[in-house]
Amino acid sequence: MNFDWSVVWTHAGELLQGTEITVFLAVVTMMIAIPGGIVLALLRLSGSRILSGASASFTELFRNLPLILVIYAAYYIMPLTLNIALSPIATGLVALSLNVSAYNGETFRAGIASIRKGQGDAALALGMSRWQAMREVVLPQAVRRVLPVLASTWVSLFKDTSLVSVIAVGELAYTAMRIRSQTFRVLEMLTAMAAIYWALGYPQAKLVDWLNRKYGINE
Amino acid sequence: MDLDFSPVIESWRFLLGGLELTLALAALTVVCSLLVGGAVGLGRCYGPVWLRVPLVFYIDSMRSVPVLVVLVWSYFALPIVTGVTLPPFWAALVALSLQISAFVAEIVRAGVNSVRPGQTRAALALGMSQAQAIREVVLPQAIVRMLPAFGSIISITIKDTAIAAVIAVPEYMNRSQTLAGQSFRPIEVFLVAMVVYFIILFPTTRIVDMVYVRLAHLGRS
Amino acid sequence: MTGVMLEYDNVQKRFGEFVALAGVSMEVRTGQVVCLIGPSGSGKSTLLRCTNGLEMLDGGEIRLEGQPLPRDPRGMRAVRQRMGMVFQNFELFPHRTALANVMSGPVTVLRLSRTAAEQRARALLEKVDLSDKAMSYPANLSGGQQQRVAIARALAMEPNIMLFDEPTSALDPETIGEVLNVMKRLAEEGMTMIVVTHEMNFARRVADHVVVFERGAIMEQGSPVQIFDAPLMERTRDFLSHLGWEG
Repeated sequence: MNFDWSVVWTHAGELLQGTEITVFLAVVTMMIAIPGGIVLALLRLSGSRILSGASASFTELFRNLPLILVIYAAYYIMPLTLNIALSPIATGLVALSLNVSAYNGETFRAGIASIRKGQGDAALALGMSRWQAMREVVLPQAVRRVLPVLASTWVSLFKDTSLVSVIAVGELAYTAMRIRSQTFRVLEMLTAMAAIYWALGYPQAKLVDWLNRKYGINE
Repeated sequence: MDLDFSPVIESWRFLLGGLELTLALAALTVVCSLLVGGAVGLGRCYGPVWLRVPLVFYIDSMRSVPVLVVLVWSYFALPIVTGVTLPPFWAALVALSLQISAFVAEIVRAGVNSVRPGQTRAALALGMSQAQAIREVVLPQAIVRMLPAFGSIISITIKDTAIAAVIAVPEYMNRSQTLAGQSFRPIEVFLVAMVVYFIILFPTTRIVDMVYVRLAHLGRS
Repeated sequence: MTGVMLEYDNVQKRFGEFVALAGVSMEVRTGQVVCLIGPSGSGKSTLLRCTNGLEMLDGGEIRLEGQPLPRDPRGMRAVRQRMGMVFQNFELFPHRTALANVMSGPVTVLRLSRTAAEQRARALLEKVDLSDKAMSYPANLSGGQQQRVAIARALAMEPNIMLFDEPTSALDPETIGEVLNVMKRLAEEGMTMIVVTHEMNFARRVADHVVVFERGAIMEQGSPVQIFDAPLMERTRDFLSHLGWEG
């Protein structure tokens, strides 16, 4: 039983690149999924039964499917239905964005609903339109309130990017496992992979705890 | 786009076998995780400092590392370190239980903390010991408050079993992949897979919510 | 010049099975201070909320200067700009300073320039004795201070009529006085006001007209002297003595 940990250092550059792709996937997904979530929440809370139902259906669908299945489904179904061949990384982004938008939709809906009705009434009483009341008074407060939950969702997203490795996107998990196959250094590479995720994820988890303490249940 | 579901229909027994394994793995994981996670959660809340620190470390570490990584490590790396090779199903059980137990522990902590301190004080004032106060007053209320989260534990576990496909556990996701490869009809196979998982997952949370609504008053103080 | 500003004509409102307003008819004249009193759940707040369209009527009509209240959102918004409302729990916007709160209406609804809105806001904060709290956030203000800012915020729209929904019910006894003083000054300046309140002393001294509600209907109405000193209805007498009114 001999271990050769130098493999890790030799391939440090590739691992770093993989990490960059992981971060890229998480950041871009969130950039799509936060506005996406807000839109879904507003549709859900709108008066229209069609829009509300559509939003609720979307949210329920993607919250009740395993992400790995969504990734595979996107990979196979999208090229044939959309007639464009998306790269694996774009496909991964689509799957991740659909998934996280659905969760954010529920988060924002609960956040908006948690703002006292009186706040909306006070805005309306001043003569604001429903949209003005939402934009000026309700949404700013709701965003503040859901910050801890969004942070939690971010941490989950960061971990979930590892799943797009199954469609050969070169993020951290794929890169580490590829190097494992090439070098046959199973324990070293898998442990290094775990360690890197741990090193990145642990501070993020602590940040979420801090946010929960600071912005947690108030009022 | 012409759809031909016949390969899926012909192999329904094959897929059903996979589904059985999905549910078996999920059920075992949930049971183990409730036991282990419950113990860890209580230890974290009421245990001495020397116990709390490693437990917190364990919980936070599982929050930081993806399920895929734990699964892959348990199946490929663990045998090298321990000399024991676990079959895929058991490796998956170990890995998923480690992850979900941490999640359960956090829910237990949140549940216990949500019971008003006045309740414990009142119990102690009646002459109960700390252990009795926890058992008779705090835990019953905490458990009721944790019920909605319980639904999400089951839901998340079932979703995570699908990831076990990558370490060759022949559960439903894995079998779908096999069938997709053999029949060259991935779209039909995965469409059916989406329907199947949705049918299993959607009622789970709903049913738990319904049970919670009936019992919620028991946890209110 | 006291024309009729608001007319309530057989106003009805239901919430499911519960009848909140069972055919209310009354008048509010320009410059009048009308106090609505009565037990909880008797419909006073509901009437107020129907007046500025936060609730829609199920029957009857409310007329503002002879014109029935519009039912479309745009029309309703225009009407709301002419009415100011003050809420029981203040409902200041917590993410804005007191000054920004008072500026909210002029900036967003009237589309005044920020400079003009700020000028107006500062003048109003001065009027309610809170100039020094302009940059404070609601979380750092006492209940009485918050309510005074809320009054300033409503006044910033230069309304024709002010609606007060139990403005002092959520306040500590020490701070009730400062809010009632502001309201008294407003009344003396000739503002038309409808006030839902349990503060009998205030109603007795400041109101021009008192309306007693019970179970969604008007039981009795008249001048303060009449209602407080010589109520016609037994129920009114009971209600007043229940609140500790010695008469």
